[in-house]
Amino acid sequence: MNSIKSSSTTHREPIAPWLRGGMVGLAAAFALAGCAREPESPGTEPRVSLVTTEQYLNSLRYIFGPGIELQIQFPPFERTEGLLANGAAIAGISSSQLEQFQSAGATVAAQVVDPVHRDFSIPCKPATEDAADDACATQFLSKVGRLLFRRPLTQAELTAFVESAGSGANTLKDFYAGLEAALEAMLLSPEVLFVVERAEPDPDHPGRLRLDAYSLAARLSYFLWDSAPDDELLAAAESGELQTKKGRARAVERMLASPRLVDGMRAFFDDMFEFNLFRTVAKDPTIYPDFTSVTAEAAREQTLRTVIEHLIVEKKDYRDLFTTRSSFMTPALAILHETPTSPGWTPYTLPPDSPRMGLLTQISFLSLHAHPGRSSPTLRGKALREILLCQHVPEPPADVDFSIVNNPDSHYPTQRDRVNAHSENASCAGCHKIMDPIGLALENFDGEGSFRTQENGVPIDASGELDGVKYNDAAGLAQALHDNANLPRCLVQRAFSYGVGGAAGKADRDFLTYLNERFAADDYRLHELLRSIVLSDAFSRLRQSESPVLDQAQAGDQT
Amino acid sequence: MKHERPDTTQGRSTATHLLLGALAFGSLAATQPATAQALRDGRIGYVMTERRWAVYETEDGKTECPNGFNLGPREQFAILFPASSGKVYTEVESHLMREGLAFHDMESKEPFPFHDAQGPISYGLNLDGKIGPNDFQSPEGVKGVDNQLYRAIGCIGAYRLNGVVSFFDTDDMYDNGYNRWMIELTGVDDLVNDDDVTVTTYRGLDDLQRDGTGSAFAPGSTQEVDVRWGQSFISQLKGKIVNGVLTTEPIDRLKWPNSQPGVASGYYIIRGSRLELQLTDQVAKGFLAGYVDVESFSHQLNTNWATHHQSYGQLSASSLHRALRRLADAYPDPKTGVNTAISSAVQLTLTQVYLVHPQKKTVVAKSGASSR
Repeated sequence: MNSIKSSSTTHREPIAPWLRGGMVGLAAAFALAGCAREPESPGTEPRVSLVTTEQYLNSLRYIFGPGIELQIQFPPFERTEGLLANGAAIAGISSSQLEQFQSAGATVAAQVVDPVHRDFSIPCKPATEDAADDACATQFLSKVGRLLFRRPLTQAELTAFVESAGSGANTLKDFYAGLEAALEAMLLSPEVLFVVERAEPDPDHPGRLRLDAYSLAARLSYFLWDSAPDDELLAAAESGELQTKKGRARAVERMLASPRLVDGMRAFFDDMFEFNLFRTVAKDPTIYPDFTSVTAEAAREQTLRTVIEHLIVEKKDYRDLFTTRSSFMTPALAILHETPTSPGWTPYTLPPDSPRMGLLTQISFLSLHAHPGRSSPTLRGKALREILLCQHVPEPPADVDFSIVNNPDSHYPTQRDRVNAHSENASCAGCHKIMDPIGLALENFDGEGSFRTQENGVPIDASGELDGVKYNDAAGLAQALHDNANLPRCLVQRAFSYGVGGAAGKADRDFLTYLNERFAADDYRLHELLRSIVLSDAFSRLRQSESPVLDQAQAGDQT
Repeated sequence: MKHERPDTTQGRSTATHLLLGALAFGSLAATQPATAQALRDGRIGYVMTERRWAVYETEDGKTECPNGFNLGPREQFAILFPASSGKVYTEVESHLMREGLAFHDMESKEPFPFHDAQGPISYGLNLDGKIGPNDFQSPEGVKGVDNQLYRAIGCIGAYRLNGVVSFFDTDDMYDNGYNRWMIELTGVDDLVNDDDVTVTTYRGLDDLQRDGTGSAFAPGSTQEVDVRWGQSFISQLKGKIVNGVLTTEPIDRLKWPNSQPGVASGYYIIRGSRLELQLTDQVAKGFLAGYVDVESFSHQLNTNWATHHQSYGQLSASSLHRALRRLADAYPDPKTGVNTAISSAVQLTLTQVYLVHPQKKTVVAKSGASSR
């Protein structure tokens, strides 16, 4: 099989200028708007998305227990409109990827049936271990299959897997070896590797379609938990409760209160902040000897811990993440902060006079958006606009001459002098003026994120500007970003897009406006935003076109 | 602000620290937010990241070892118990007999000649303040260097630069927390010149933090002081800093860890021990010198190094123990008058570290306490 292509949406509108530009000045209106009713939404497209490595692992850990060991890393998706998650719906499987899935499935199946795990993972014992036992195999495969397929197996599917297990057991004279083969085949099933969303008529809105209950359960679960639905959520789908307003609200409250929400939100912010780049970030060790691969991983973890503590545990204002002095510390980062610490991770509060404040001054942002051997006001400014404000910075023109800024022997003593060269070239100036003034405020932090007051013996001028707000240092930038109306709107846009598995488009405009109003009225608390999204009609409604309606005969055949 | 690593944004090579950086920082601090410094409240800590018994080597070794290197267990066994003799030896009368001599020494005659290191030059310090006939001159020309241990180990391959002891001493130091030896200077007004500082030795509890090159260690990491199992390693020395060089007065006894993983008896007792270290706020480099107790030296060697390991470096503990006894030059036994300790020096590099003290009051190990 060379490729299994997804049947996801084929047309996705880019973020339009209306979304980027039309937001300035609306903050006050949003704040006053209160909680308006949800506008009519055309809904989203049903998608077929490839599971991510973490989703695969999280699901297996839920089904088979945390003792299953698996060292896998599936190939990354293509980042689409700011999110890798959007790339999952346009991903296929190459033959080499299929080998990876096969290898992972074989490893998992072998562990599930081995003597260490079988008493926990298999709910029955065969009559004899050296022959088939269809009853026990049925019990195990129907239970596991329901969780892996995110719906009950059809009778035909279950029969095929049980027969496979029986054939293997009789041939190999080993019940568990037969079960292992059947489980491996199950783990390679397209419907396990791909999350297939299905439509059904919406009885509350005749003529319209909605996600069927199992698809809704999957969309909720992958969004909030980064994992397949658990037994309870599937039961709610099975009983029809999930398709009622009260039932859905009950399920959502349970999910928001679960510790598994941390998995889901870590995955979301890891995606939104483009932390997949940490897999390849490297610094020149002769210039930044204190920055190692351990530092890079710790930097990623520090930010995720800060985000989770701030938004999930303390339920604070999203905007305050960019001005907070609360964080976490670990030895690898303490070296760059020049502070003592303890082994492991410990809560850490920056001193009141620290030049650091908020996520922009954490090592993650500073090191990720810099060169291997020097800082980069341009990269930092670009990242702030694209990642945190959801704005698009055009690519440099094809004929741009980088030698001016890349020459390490150039006479510019500071990065400010270096990037000012951009303004001397009209083809550069247009874009750089929307990036460089932002990043220059972070020049007190070098390419690894350590604080400095000078560069090549010249005092650093860290003044800058963000959308007309001027400041003198990183703290000023942090406050300007905190107060920028596009900051929370970008989170809203990304969260919605992540939740439904595709980029927001023009048709989502009114709904996003509604979400922005709600988010502001809810003091920018993440729980409230998530609740608004997943309880909305827009989250579960499907567009009329290209929606594969669940075959009723097949639905009726489910066990 | 990272404490004065030169800015390298123009692609310079590895930063080397400028000692005056701390002073330069001080002048900046008035206009900048208060940031971290290695020297805080008169304190600065360092953790050991390189150590090696000081052995002066010429390129081909012929100057200091004109008669060649000493034999190891494998060669000695082959001579003493040749397979060609046709005799069947028991373990007790052959290998175990030789290994037993590593502790019981002077009653039988050593059957092999022992090659002491020769020549006028050695690393180390002038421990007794005298210039004697057996003393060396340092490579820089300082006379009166006391390092008789160099005579004993200088022609044993294991102790030379690429030898097995040098390698494993380093490797064990990295991987075995038992060897996490640290010093903390207190009462420091100035890291360049200060006529009265206190140096306290500790053992630490945490891993070393390697830097991005993979071959060096990052200054600015944290170590928690081990006040439980590390209590006996806590000693205090008085010293002064002159032009960036710390020199301490000797103390009678210092317990210094050196253990292979899984061995809890790896340490040396160093009598009359002292430090001479070139200081910056990122690194301290120089010597730990004194008279190493011969019994503790052999005990460490024979409880941490099996004969097969010794064989890799032609290190015969049986022969070396006798040489140590013969060359010992201080701390005579009050009853027998036999010297019990031998002058020595360790080449040390320590990297700046923040020390975390779990208790406020430092309790120093009792000087002169039992070495076991």
